[in-house]
Amino acid sequence: MGSYLKLELLRSVRNTTGLIMLTVFPLVLYLLWTKVLRVVPAGPQQVDFAAYTMVSMAVYGAMGGALFIGGAIAMERSKGWLRQLAVTPLPAHGYISAKLIAGATGVLPSILVVLGGGALISGVRLPPGTWPALVVLIWVGVMPFAALGVTFGYTMNGQAANLAMIAVFFGLSVLGGLWLPVQLMPEFMRTLAEYSPAYQAGSLGWRVLAGDWPTVKSLVVLAGWTLLFSGLASWRYRRAL
Amino acid sequence: MANALELTAVSKRYGQTSALDGVDLTAEQGQTIAVLGPNGAGKSTLLSIALGLLPPTSGTAAILGHPPVEALRKGLVGVLLQESGLLEDVRVDELVTATAGMYQKPMPVERALRAARADGFAAQRIGKLSGGQRQRVRIALALIGDPRLLVLDEPTVGLDVDGRRALWQEVRARTGEGRTAVFATHYLTEADDYADRVILLAKGKVVADGPVEKIKELVGGSEVHVTLDAAEVGVLQALPGVRQVRVEGGAAVLRTNDSDATLRALFATFADARDVRTAGTDLESAFVSLTGGN
Repeated sequence: MGSYLKLELLRSVRNTTGLIMLTVFPLVLYLLWTKVLRVVPAGPQQVDFAAYTMVSMAVYGAMGGALFIGGAIAMERSKGWLRQLAVTPLPAHGYISAKLIAGATGVLPSILVVLGGGALISGVRLPPGTWPALVVLIWVGVMPFAALGVTFGYTMNGQAANLAMIAVFFGLSVLGGLWLPVQLMPEFMRTLAEYSPAYQAGSLGWRVLAGDWPTVKSLVVLAGWTLLFSGLASWRYRRAL
Repeated sequence: MANALELTAVSKRYGQTSALDGVDLTAEQGQTIAVLGPNGAGKSTLLSIALGLLPPTSGTAAILGHPPVEALRKGLVGVLLQESGLLEDVRVDELVTATAGMYQKPMPVERALRAARADGFAAQRIGKLSGGQRQRVRIALALIGDPRLLVLDEPTVGLDVDGRRALWQEVRARTGEGRTAVFATHYLTEADDYADRVILLAKGKVVADGPVEKIKELVGGSEVHVTLDAAEVGVLQALPGVRQVRVEGGAAVLRTNDSDATLRALFATFADARDVRTAGTDLESAFVSLTGGN
């Protein structure tokens, strides 16, 4: 599997379109909100907003990266690449492991670039230990989406899978309060949001900004989604073998 | 010594239609075997079952004494499939190198690329290659593991003369070392030139299995088409060289081993013989006659 993982890592580094969509795009959105538009009045509130949005946008980009691992799988499946791999010594689980590891690695730039933008451009100041904690929490928080992506990748073909995932990506981002904070949502939507995976992925980071640990509810909700998505993914994956 | 490939009573049915019907096939090590048949004869189905990619409805398959999937995982088999995809966004040498890493004892990447005549565009992205170049990449991928059994499904599709020559040269060199090659084709000449043994498949059944000469006797020769006022099958059948006669209205088609002798006798016997033309046997019609179909 090592040699195939190497190839997958090489591919994710080379994927400029993906990198721009999931790194530059969240960064530009972030700078728009914190440096260009006047969303909140200047002062301490502005500083809080810059940190809060930094986490939102990092989660947004990373979540996209995790989801679209499945998009690549769907494309490769419909183009017959998995047929070719089936006649090599690489077992099917070797393929999916390489995809997931390379995909998870490919998510890191989204997180690092947006956090970098926060620190260097938007003036976010945090205790030194908080930065690595943010990276890890956001990274771990978006892993359920990799499983969701794999589910799509083994269920739908090529372009259809990608379109479906774009819809899910935006839907969950908005519902999860990554674009606009859930505080601005009406009551019922807010309740719904709090049980959604993107919100809980974000909440890990938002809480650590204030020095708080993740809530039990966060962990339970996230674990629930992870179990559900992983279950679906492994079911679809087995069906496709 | 285990057989390179062994299929026992393999059948494959899709609902009412039968794609393969009780096929037995034993490939000894060191042989080059052509699975020959017209489109839809079941060649790809046969190879897919042999490789464990498709479950048979009944029967068993084994490669070098192992279940097919196990043999693939052990890297004993190199395969070229008809409709396999390639990764578009990597270079040829990158893909072949990554595939080499999956095998325990691969051949050097340069050697596989050279054998497949893919060395000239090794640094190009696969997405930019032509159809023939992509086929050469597939050949390199089949060879890279230095496998004991090569299974090639229509390997020369889209290849130019140079590519074909290189492929067969490599296949010959390998079987010369005691390795085995099984390939599917619908070109009689390819089977003729490169196989020790031909398995003729029609409508999911093996209709002939043996050395090339034996098959050529069955399907080779040429056809004489002639118009006659009164075509008598018995008389036509007795002409020198004629193996088979088909009469449709005033026209007769004679299948012959020796068209010169047949023609001489034809004109001598029938003064009214006209509109005469000869044609090489095309495989499709030969299969029809072999399988007794329409």
